[in-house]
Amino acid sequence: MINKKLIKKITLIKAFSFLFIVSFICACGEDTQKSDTKETPAVETIDQTQKTYTREKLPGKIKWLTNTADPIFSSPDVKKGGIFRSSITAFPPTFRVVGPDSNSSFRSAILDNQLSLIGIHPNTENIIPELATHWAFGKDKKTMYFKLNKNARWSDGHSVTAEDFAFTLEFMRSKHIVAPWYNDYYTKEIDRVIIYDDYTLAVVVTKAQPDLHLRAGMSPMPKHFYGTLDATFVRKYNWEIVPNTGPYQVSDFKKGKYVKFKRKKDWWAKDLHYFKNRYNVDTVTFNVVRDSNILWEYFKKAKTDVFGITIPKYWHEKTKTPVVKNGYVHKIWFFNDTQQSAQGLWLNQDKEIFKDRNVRYAFSHAMNIQKVIKKILRNDYSRLEHGFMGYGRYSNTNIRARRFDLKQVDYYMKKSGWKRGPDGIWIKNGQRFSVDVSYHFDEHSPRLVVLKEEAKKAGIDLRLQKLDQSAWYKKVVEKKHDVAWVGWSTSLRPQYWEHFHSINAHKPQTNNITNTDDSEMDTLIDAFRNSLDEEKRIVLSKKIQAKIHEIGSFVPTFRVPYVRQAYWKWWHLPDIPGTKHTGDLFDPFSSATGGLFWYDEELHKETKAAMKKSIKFEPVTIIDKTYKR
Amino acid sequence: MIKLNPLTLKKIRRFKTIKRGYYAFIIFAVMISVSLFAELLINKRAIIVHFQGSYYFPTYGDIIPGTEFGLDYAYETNYRQLATQFKTEKSGNWVLMPPVPYDAFENDLKEDTYPPFPPSFTEQHYLGTDTVGRDMVARLVYGFRIAIFFSLALLVSTYIIGISIGCAMGFWGGLFDLFFQRIIEIWSNMPVLYVIIIIASIISPTFTILLLIMVFFSWTSMTWTMRTITYKEKTREYVLAAKVMGASNYRIIFKHIIPNTVAIIVTFAPFAVSSGIILITSLDYLGFGLPPPTPSWGDLLAQGWANMEAKWIASSVVAAMTLTLILVTFVGEAVREAFDPKLHTTYE
Repeated sequence: MINKKLIKKITLIKAFSFLFIVSFICACGEDTQKSDTKETPAVETIDQTQKTYTREKLPGKIKWLTNTADPIFSSPDVKKGGIFRSSITAFPPTFRVVGPDSNSSFRSAILDNQLSLIGIHPNTENIIPELATHWAFGKDKKTMYFKLNKNARWSDGHSVTAEDFAFTLEFMRSKHIVAPWYNDYYTKEIDRVIIYDDYTLAVVVTKAQPDLHLRAGMSPMPKHFYGTLDATFVRKYNWEIVPNTGPYQVSDFKKGKYVKFKRKKDWWAKDLHYFKNRYNVDTVTFNVVRDSNILWEYFKKAKTDVFGITIPKYWHEKTKTPVVKNGYVHKIWFFNDTQQSAQGLWLNQDKEIFKDRNVRYAFSHAMNIQKVIKKILRNDYSRLEHGFMGYGRYSNTNIRARRFDLKQVDYYMKKSGWKRGPDGIWIKNGQRFSVDVSYHFDEHSPRLVVLKEEAKKAGIDLRLQKLDQSAWYKKVVEKKHDVAWVGWSTSLRPQYWEHFHSINAHKPQTNNITNTDDSEMDTLIDAFRNSLDEEKRIVLSKKIQAKIHEIGSFVPTFRVPYVRQAYWKWWHLPDIPGTKHTGDLFDPFSSATGGLFWYDEELHKETKAAMKKSIKFEPVTIIDKTYKR
Repeated sequence: MIKLNPLTLKKIRRFKTIKRGYYAFIIFAVMISVSLFAELLINKRAIIVHFQGSYYFPTYGDIIPGTEFGLDYAYETNYRQLATQFKTEKSGNWVLMPPVPYDAFENDLKEDTYPPFPPSFTEQHYLGTDTVGRDMVARLVYGFRIAIFFSLALLVSTYIIGISIGCAMGFWGGLFDLFFQRIIEIWSNMPVLYVIIIIASIISPTFTILLLIMVFFSWTSMTWTMRTITYKEKTREYVLAAKVMGASNYRIIFKHIIPNTVAIIVTFAPFAVSSGIILITSLDYLGFGLPPPTPSWGDLLAQGWANMEAKWIASSVVAAMTLTLILVTFVGEAVREAFDPKLHTTYE
């Protein structure tokens, strides 16, 4: 998959999938099938005659670039081998990565094994080679040239050729994949692929781009495997193992139970500069464990190798357990420096009550986030000031989230003509200020009940609505919520269009879950999307963030600029355990940050023997602040 | 008032002589009635406030904002603070707090230490707090009230439906009976718990919705028994006599048959109550019951399981549950014994 994947590689999703909620990064919609052509990025606007590729002669003056000069972040001491046992909370509804039900969090495990033309270095953010060895930028800022690595192979042995990239466009534009978002993206954003020879190609985007490489560095689909698509696609490929180019491939699975990945014995990229000494374990198993308490018990019995303990209760309390105290399990607190998930309360402005800006402001001031951080989260988390923190120069550092303030609540509510009812809750024309807060993660209940009690003081009644994850997801993307408790995954650059552009408002299955519909905002976002000048984009980005704050339909909650994990003693990490963008130190696949850890068989045996004889080791807690700001 | 026949009165007398069951019944009744007035015993609102010569009774009714007592906030008065404030001021004002001055929702959080907090008499958290600092006693008692009334309501509604349909099946028999037998067979083969879980994960159920769902699936249990008894009773002489005298079907069913089946219905009741409690508790435990922050035993059990180191959570809820279920079972046993037909029938 295209840029989305490229960007996605350095997202937080995986580490936080346990902690946070969402993993629908580019779910910009599966709708728009039959809407107004003018208004929407609809499917029917696709020009079916648009060519997916042309064959041309390579222009003469091309300045080829490559990059083998950036620092390597893997360790030279690695050993190969071992089984890494991880877990997933639900079995994926399909192995497809496009089409209905494909947007589950497991998708990243499959996508991460699909290399792109180029990657992004997780520390320097420079372009690094993946499937391409060299690349070059066209002067039009629309064309990017690539030279493929001639050794690049699909997992079934076929070479990766320029044809596969041309096919990707055909694939993504096909209506048979039932993925309007991709149909639209690969039509409106990617113009065509130019094939010069089997191993040289160019990707042409439709509009000149400031970050051209994020769009053009696409990931191929195996043409020899799919052949011609037809209407049976969705069903036919539900459980097919599609050839890939990454280090691992699915080797075995049992629906509802587990998925196994095996390392390719002779992976074509294993000795490449940035892939050397990575992806060390032979087998990665994802077992389905539906409950995090049970998973914790599994972990303590060494039935799973790593456990995320970012949540304060785990880091401080639950890890006071013999396996940690006796040094069999190590704890690590690793600070990263990456985009922060926009997590918080998203107010649905299509609901009558939230149409009034004063009410939205009052709602923000009624959320005692500070108290939750202080009294429940042990001051381990920080307040998220707005939805786009950690995007470097693109972040507006002047915005400060609205703090809990009863006087402000009073001011705004009275301004809109509300009065306190007999039960202390605001009331206007018979309507009480009582709203549903939809969430799905049990661990978040303590935070919400505190917010609820505090909001009562401010005269707002929160009705907590805990739903099953898929029911919650459906409710939110169908915009049926009052207030949604959501944390989004992140991208390299802020994604405003999908969350705040009016094109995505008032219709289901888009990410504009606040139904923000503001012409000024649209102008800003369009300008941001169309601008080629980085400086201008930065200015616009900051303006948009200020505008989001002004609209007040998002109440930011927490920021967690680190990851904390517990792992069994026989796993090793490099001296600097991760990268700036690492969200999970034990991510087995990610081409940007993953596969750095390795297994130590002797230490495993030694530890097992020690446990049997009750020999204790010194407890180990690593705190790594290399990238701490 | 239904006139109890002498046989029933005899049974009740017999029940009273079974001491274990009788006392269990009294204790249980007291528990229920006390829980009805829990607001006066376990509440963050004061029972009486005496302020500048006038009396306030904040327990029931609307909130009294802090400004009413000269405080600087417009939200509900914090009576615990008010009590200590009045004490230090010594101005003749006073506050009478309930024995447990917390309600089931309030988070009593502290500086530099994190919930769950262990039991403490000085803070009047007699059984400690749960994982978000809510008082355990309050959660237990209010949770008990919800669970018991839920199961009573479930009992009454399933009995009404079950008895009427069962009775009708037995009384009319024939095609009607045949038809309903099949319906019930199919109905009772539905995996109730799963259905409830599916529904509860799509909508966040309220008390009434949950009750309706459960009634919808559990009314069948009584029908078989009722059908059989009615079949038997219908052929007895007294029913035939009533028929001969021209009594209507309505009269026969409600005046003659049902009163004579009470004995059997009653013996089932206590066990139905305990299974109702278990049902709602297990649903809450699994997270598919009443939505948070409703106080519930199931939620406390889940917390106890997730926080084994906080022993007071698991132990108090397990103790409370055991106590309740034992009481109900004792009552049930005694009822069964008292209503044992062998003791009251003589065969000639």
